[in-house]
Parts: sequence; C-alpha cells; structure tokens
Amino acid sequence: MSMLRLLRSTPRSLTRRLALAPASCPAFPRPRPYSTQGTRDQTPLGPSWRAGALFIATGLGLVWYFKSEKAKQIERKEQELAKASYGKARIGGPFSLITHDGKPFTQNDLVGKWSLIYFGFTHCPDICPEELDKMSEVVDAIDATFGQVVQPIFITCDPARDTPEQVAAYVKDFHPRLLGLTGAYDNIKAACKAYRVYFSTPPNTKPGDDYLVDHSIFFYLMDPQGEFVDAYGKSTTEAEVREKVAEAIKSWKPASSKSSS
Amino acid sequence: MSTPVAPSREDRKRCWESRDIYFSCLDAAQVVVPGEEGTKCDAQKKAYGTDCAKSWVDYFNKRRVLAERQKATLKEVERQRLEAEAKGFRR
Repeated sequence: MSMLRLLRSTPRSLTRRLALAPASCPAFPRPRPYSTQGTRDQTPLGPSWRAGALFIATGLGLVWYFKSEKAKQIERKEQELAKASYGKARIGGPFSLITHDGKPFTQNDLVGKWSLIYFGFTHCPDICPEELDKMSEVVDAIDATFGQVVQPIFITCDPARDTPEQVAAYVKDFHPRLLGLTGAYDNIKAACKAYRVYFSTPPNTKPGDDYLVDHSIFFYLMDPQGEFVDAYGKSTTEAEVREKVAEAIKSWKPASSKSSS
Repeated sequence: MSTPVAPSREDRKRCWESRDIYFSCLDAAQVVVPGEEGTKCDAQKKAYGTDCAKSWVDYFNKRRVLAERQKATLKEVERQRLEAEAKGFRR
C-alpha cells in the first residue's frame, strides 16, 4: 500500500516520461523504490564522530606499540653490551734491558710482584718528576695496606743520554725502591713498542745535546704474572690511581696456564 | 767525555722558581710572549736562563703562550654560552 503511495508521489511529468521511455534506455532508469523525501541516508563511510574516534585510537595504539618495541630493543642492546667483554689491550711483552746497577732485566723479572712501569727520560722538565712523585705516593699507600707487593719501575725513552749511572742518580730522587731501566737504543725501542709507548727522539742527536723527548705519558700496572692490567694517564689523580690499584690487587685471581708470548 | 748530568730535584726546583719569578714579572708587565717585554725583566730573565737548560726555557715559554691562548678560547666559549642562554637556547 505504501509502495503505491510512493510511486504516486513521483511528479506526474516524470512518471509520464518514464512510462514512455523504452525499458532498455539507460538515460531514464526505472525509479527505484527508495525515499525521495530529501533526507539522504548517511553511509557509514562519511565523516563522523565514530570514524574520528577510531582513527585517533588506532594512531595512539600504533604510537604505543612503536614506543614499547623501541624500549625493548634498547634494553636488548644494553644487555648485550653489559655482557660483552672487550678483552685486554695487548700491552706488554718481552724486553731485555739493564738496571741502573748494570744488571740485566727482562720481562721474566716482573713475575712474582705487581709492577708500576713509567716511561720517561731524566732530562724531563716537569711532567716525568710529577708522574714519578705521583707513582711514589701510590706505592707508599699500597705498601701501607698490602705490604711491599708493588715494584715501581722507570724505563727511559732516551738511551743516548740516560746511561745506567745517569738513571741511578735520577731514581735516587724518588721512591727508594724505584728501579731504573735503560739499554741499547734497539732494546729500548723494542720495549717501548711492546708497551705501545710513543716516543720521538729528535734525529741526529749527539751525547751532550740539549733536547726534549716527546713521549706518551702513562704508567702501566702489570700483575704478578707479568700481564697488563691497567694504564693511568696524566689526568688521573693519585687518589684515583691508588683506588684502582688497590681494587686490582684485591680482586686479582691468577690466570690458569697462560702460554707466554 | 762526560755528558752533562741530568738535573737533580734541587736543580729542577731552582729552575722552576726562577721561571715563576720571571713569569710573574711578565704578568706584571702584562706581556704574554717571553721576549716581548724589552728590558723590563732582564735580571729575572738572566737568572731563568742560567738555572734552566735551553730546551726547558723553550718548552716553558711555548707552554705559557699556549696556556694564554687556551684561556682566551675558553673565555670566548663561556661568553657564547652565556649569550645563548640569555637568548633562551637550552643545552
């Protein structure tokens, strides 16, 4: 009944036109029985509050997802780094020098005691004396805590001028146990290379020349097996070195069967 | 032939003291580069040259100039930082 009324509600002119139109003409489709009262059906795909809310919710969901994934990745990386052991620098190695008393001294003589080794030269203006004083203070402090377990050693980078007598006179000014080492140029060069110490003697020097040797400023802690433990630069204070050496001594465990290089 | 013996602790101390006296004379004359002060600090300069080996004199002089230059750079950096902060930039 309502269908008929709907059909009747189409404008008369349109009905007449439609009635006359052939059934197969696409220009005049048959009227479909839907409402023509002006209100159009809102399709769910148009802009609406619901769509907007869904859009925002999806966006927030994605943001949260990415953030949590990234956090997980960062955590994974940190765990990896924490576990990673970087290995020890390959510092140290065989050397063959002479003490300030003229006796031979090699890397085997390091075994049995901790050693703090400083590379310098006796004609050094102020840095070497400062570092050696710092080293002496550390050795005294360690003596007080652990007994005489550390051997302080001074190795010269200036073999041309630093004869054993020269080195003997020099080390007297510092710690009483400070052992000075020197030797032939090639042996000194080999020792410096083993300890990765950079030094540059000006070329063509003659004994009696007045020159300064440019060299890297570190002292090296070697354990009672003669293996490298740590290096301390110019900027580390005496207190810091003392703490680190004490810590190393306390926590040291002899390594099992090491093959000597 | 004996090579000159390396300075002992007392020798080093004496050298450092002469150096410090000479440098404070330079500071008073507001001169940075040793040698630019003319004849103002001649006595101190002579003592400094006697007590310290030439290589040490050169080394200390160079270091003084470098330290001064570093001070100027650090001051400039600090000034720029304050300027940026005043403008509202954050680190």
